[in-house]
Amino acid sequence: MEDLTQIPQWTLQLFGLNLVFNTGTILMTWIVMGGLILFGFMATRNLHFLPNPFQVVAELLVDIFYNITKDALDEKMAKRYFPLVCSLFMFLVLCNWIGIIPKLYEPTKDLNTTLGLGLMGFVLAHHAGIKAKGFKKYATEYFQPIFFMAPLNVIGEIAKVVSISFRLYGNIMGGSIIILVVSHLIYSLVLPPLLNLFFGLFVGTVQAFVFTMLTVVYISVQVK
Amino acid sequence: MILDPPSAMKIASFVGAGLCIGFGAIGAAVGEGYTAGLANQGISQKPEKSGDIVKNMLVGQAVAESAGIFALVIAILLIFMESTPSLLNAASLIGAGLCMGLGAIGSGIGSGFPGGEACLGISRQPAVSNRLTTSMLIGSAVCQTPAIFAMVISLILMFTKFTDLPLSPTWAALLGAGLSTGLAAIGSGIGGGMAAGASCEGVARQPETFGSVTTTMLVGQAVSQTPAIFGLVVSFVLMFKTFPESQSLAPAMALLGAGISMGFGGVGPGVGNGLTAQEAVRWVARNVEHAGLLTRTMMVGQAVAQSTAIYAMVVSLVLIFVV
Repeated sequence: MEDLTQIPQWTLQLFGLNLVFNTGTILMTWIVMGGLILFGFMATRNLHFLPNPFQVVAELLVDIFYNITKDALDEKMAKRYFPLVCSLFMFLVLCNWIGIIPKLYEPTKDLNTTLGLGLMGFVLAHHAGIKAKGFKKYATEYFQPIFFMAPLNVIGEIAKVVSISFRLYGNIMGGSIIILVVSHLIYSLVLPPLLNLFFGLFVGTVQAFVFTMLTVVYISVQVK
Repeated sequence: MILDPPSAMKIASFVGAGLCIGFGAIGAAVGEGYTAGLANQGISQKPEKSGDIVKNMLVGQAVAESAGIFALVIAILLIFMESTPSLLNAASLIGAGLCMGLGAIGSGIGSGFPGGEACLGISRQPAVSNRLTTSMLIGSAVCQTPAIFAMVISLILMFTKFTDLPLSPTWAALLGAGLSTGLAAIGSGIGGGMAAGASCEGVARQPETFGSVTTTMLVGQAVSQTPAIFGLVVSFVLMFKTFPESQSLAPAMALLGAGISMGFGGVGPGVGNGLTAQEAVRWVARNVEHAGLLTRTMMVGQAVAQSTAIYAMVVSLVLIFVV
């Protein structure tokens, strides 16, 4: 039970700095990226009127996420942000599903992954906001409704990053802790596959979708 | 009276188990009763569909029960688990019981709403009963997230060895960690349930809007759960930060206060965000071409409603790191 919150690490001494790498997480992320590249290759090889199974899935994803992005933003911005949105979802869903394979674990179980993606969404949303409204209008919004609300508005924006990244981390980490403890208590009989089904597939998909949707909605809140 | 560690452990595990299943039994029962009540209403409107409605009611109640079952599992573990006797572990067992017990209240009540609305919806649109059951299952499963957070904190509190830490402020930190997530999960569970209930109601009125309604519901539920996530963050800090030993009671009370502040501070915003999400989801179903605008407005409104949870978190972090 001691490995409840442990993550393998590797430290690099560079110019007097201690650079710590979470080797397991990096390896798992590369496996996920490899899987996505393979999927992309299989889906776009012999594009055909009668599609192969991979092409069907890819078309489905593109269709769903293009419509979602178009509804939240507008036609022009959707063309621009849709590739990011769709690949963010595919990456997260594969990250969350990979834990059901023995010996592999979810890169999203590491807070660094989700915090990184959350910060990416944050920077993206604010960049889009500045670009759409101009810096002056963007900056004055922090002083709404009254000027002394500014620090609280800034904290509110930071809290968005905290909540979006801890939501994914908490769900995936929580699922894996519950699976670990239950498997330990009942000697891995009967229940763990069902728990994997619920936490790995169901919660994993829902949380990947929620993360993607929130990133889109944060952009659209900043832009409009 | 000075407690010796073995008897303190016994007392803590019994008290913790009692608190856990005592509080934990509140929510699921209320939620299941709500489901059954609306099922009666549905059957009176369309008696010939009573078979479908009762089936749906039982499935919905089974999902609503899961929060109560989590509490039962933790309570049984607390009674029968053997661990090293120490006063610190005793504190962590009470914290674990409180956390799971309080955390199960919201999700239990909340997951009753989609079950009830789905039963009512089947009487209104019997042709889409499968779609309604799907919508109910997604909604009430996501409702369980705050209870799952509470369960995670309880399990960490029970299975992590805290023995080599100084007793004096750490006992309060462990109790505070339990209270923070447990209390904050109440509001989030109820709020998520409101959004899920509105989605079942909306699908029953306009079955073709299933996709947009489910998307809005998931976003609304996710934001309703933000206070529970803040509670989780504060709990993690309280559990894994090492506090310097001190015999004075003040630092211990500051840590306990941090947990209570985040816990109670999260109840209101969770319910408030749920109210916002409920109306947004309801009107997306009736006015699906403006789903984007409604979702955006919901997010802005929830961000404001959430600010009180953020104040509570700021005060908690100040109590932990500054005082």
